[in-house]
Amino acid sequence: MIKKILEILKEDCECAYKGLPKGMKMRVDDFDLWYGKTQAITSVNMNIQKNKVTAIIGPSGCGKSTLIRSFNRMNDTIPTVRTEGHVWLDGYDIYDDTADCVEIRRKVGMVFQKPNPFPFSIANNIYYGCQVNGMDVAKDEVVERCLKQAAIWEEVKDRLSENALSLSGGQQQRLCIARALAIEPEVILMDEPCSALDPIATAKIEDLINELKKDYTVVIVTHNMQQAARVSDYTAYMYLGELIEFGKTKQIFENPREESTEKYITGRFG
Amino acid sequence: MSIRKLLAIWIFFVSIVISLIGFHSLAVQSEIEYWTMAGSLILLSISGHACGIHNYSTKKDGKNLFMLIYGSVILTIAALSFYIPDVLDLRPWEIYARIPDHFFFALIMLFVGIFTSYLSFRPYHNYNKEGAQSGALYVLHVTILLTLLPLFIIIFNIIFRGAGGITYEFLTEDIVSMGEQGGVYPAILGTLAMIALTAIIVLPLGVGTAIYLAEYARKGLAVRLIRTAVNILQGTPSIVHGLFGYAFFVLIVFNGQKCLLAGALTLAILTLPIVTRSAEEALNAVPGDLRDASLALGATKWQTIRKVVIPPSLPGILTGTVLGLGRAAGETAPIMFTAVYFSGAGTPRSLLRPVQALPYHLLSLYRLVGYRDVENQAWATALLLLIIVLGINISAIIVREKYRQRF
Repeated sequence: MIKKILEILKEDCECAYKGLPKGMKMRVDDFDLWYGKTQAITSVNMNIQKNKVTAIIGPSGCGKSTLIRSFNRMNDTIPTVRTEGHVWLDGYDIYDDTADCVEIRRKVGMVFQKPNPFPFSIANNIYYGCQVNGMDVAKDEVVERCLKQAAIWEEVKDRLSENALSLSGGQQQRLCIARALAIEPEVILMDEPCSALDPIATAKIEDLINELKKDYTVVIVTHNMQQAARVSDYTAYMYLGELIEFGKTKQIFENPREESTEKYITGRFG
Repeated sequence: MSIRKLLAIWIFFVSIVISLIGFHSLAVQSEIEYWTMAGSLILLSISGHACGIHNYSTKKDGKNLFMLIYGSVILTIAALSFYIPDVLDLRPWEIYARIPDHFFFALIMLFVGIFTSYLSFRPYHNYNKEGAQSGALYVLHVTILLTLLPLFIIIFNIIFRGAGGITYEFLTEDIVSMGEQGGVYPAILGTLAMIALTAIIVLPLGVGTAIYLAEYARKGLAVRLIRTAVNILQGTPSIVHGLFGYAFFVLIVFNGQKCLLAGALTLAILTLPIVTRSAEEALNAVPGDLRDASLALGATKWQTIRKVVIPPSLPGILTGTVLGLGRAAGETAPIMFTAVYFSGAGTPRSLLRPVQALPYHLLSLYRLVGYRDVENQAWATALLLLIIVLGINISAIIVREKYRQRF
């Protein structure tokens, strides 16, 4: 059905379609965002490659969370937000007037900073996404697949009917990742997924991200530079709402072009 | 136990007794002589002096003189009270009141007693921080006691006077000879029917408004206006609701016919703000994280509200509704013009017929006291009404505790 919609979109609204080069999943074009009168993001341009991990780093308040929330239009829930520019997903502008937020969020899943499982059973947490999207799948299968993909199956397989809030923080966060996988998204956005977790849980999630990039495109916001260096293929450095530098992670960390990036990475500022 | 502590405890008990004497005098209007008041204050003052001298003799520190100075202050108060006139006549100031001196004596005893009992914690704890802490805690305990006291007095009073009147006949028969005999069976059924009907009307309206306010409405002028309107509705006196119900529902909608439905509609308007407010609070208590999580999974706003927001807030919504219904069950003013007869309505059979109800029954019996022998019936009715209202409130508490959701 999505394909059909996209086909119709393609025919009806040429302006909303722009072919992306092969291997590119998303593209951000001159994107600006305002909270009321305060500009939070200023003309950001960046590319997100398919089946790669892209990390966004930067000091607190630089707009990295706002930017990642723009990729599935989660900022629409805040009444004062206004945007300009385009974000292309597979060549379709998600900020086009005809774009359907619900459909975009089904294709671009999200994991939040704080683990936020629903107060349902573990299995129902996973199945919720399938339910609301009317996906015709067997509950047991999808629960098992997602929990296995999120590397939490072994820990919870005997307690699927227990309340998800009885899990530990790290387990809750992996459950949230599993929940995001249930609706078979193409891109997974992670907004500081490890900031509330201890080092062991963090390591598990980092391993998981490495696994996930085989099937998905991952964008991760982190305030932990070592984490960005460990898990990502591309890194974007933001400062005061602007994208200062974007490139391969190796290049950003070993040979940054901008002075500001170098200062931040070496810990002299930020 | 050191002498310091014993003296402090002694002062505490003396001051408690003094404040109780003052309270008793105010409560039953018994007259206190000047020397009763002055004598007890002098006793307190001597104890304070003794305490202060003992404290200072054990440790020569300025703060140990505290009770000594305070004892002198009390003595001064006692001496100055001598000049309170027998009757304070306010008429020269255009106020038509004459206050007798024993009123002031009782007030002085009450306040000096409470304040001294509070201060007695200081010498007990050797004037350190802990003394101030326990003193403050003691004051809080006193306020709690004073808050709960009226509740217990009311409940026990009504139980003692009303329990005798509740008989099998009282519960199962209709009113006979203006309430002197018979019972309140139709009134019980009428009240229950009215509450049930009110619940059916108010629940969808109140919850719908709350969902709109909490989830959909942007935080702008319109929402502020709606919320203000809800607050005003809540502050409106119930007699005004009753008159409105009569003028609108009875006269216009039901052609001058008092009926169960008109009463329930009026009560629904009365209860609506309570239900809306509590439902909105319950909805707002669901963390925004969960809404985000649901939206990020491709759920629509309505799916999010229906599956994620409403289930955990349901206990809160129900509790608020039941509390509102508890209020409605006890109201007389909104139903007396719109739905109820004192007698002759019989058990409720139709929405469009009048009923009998307990609060109005009680009011009518009260009016007959002195003309007819209905006092026992009135107390029994009061007890029955109390049982129904408390029962409703307790069930609300049980629902809330049992299904309370933690995030």
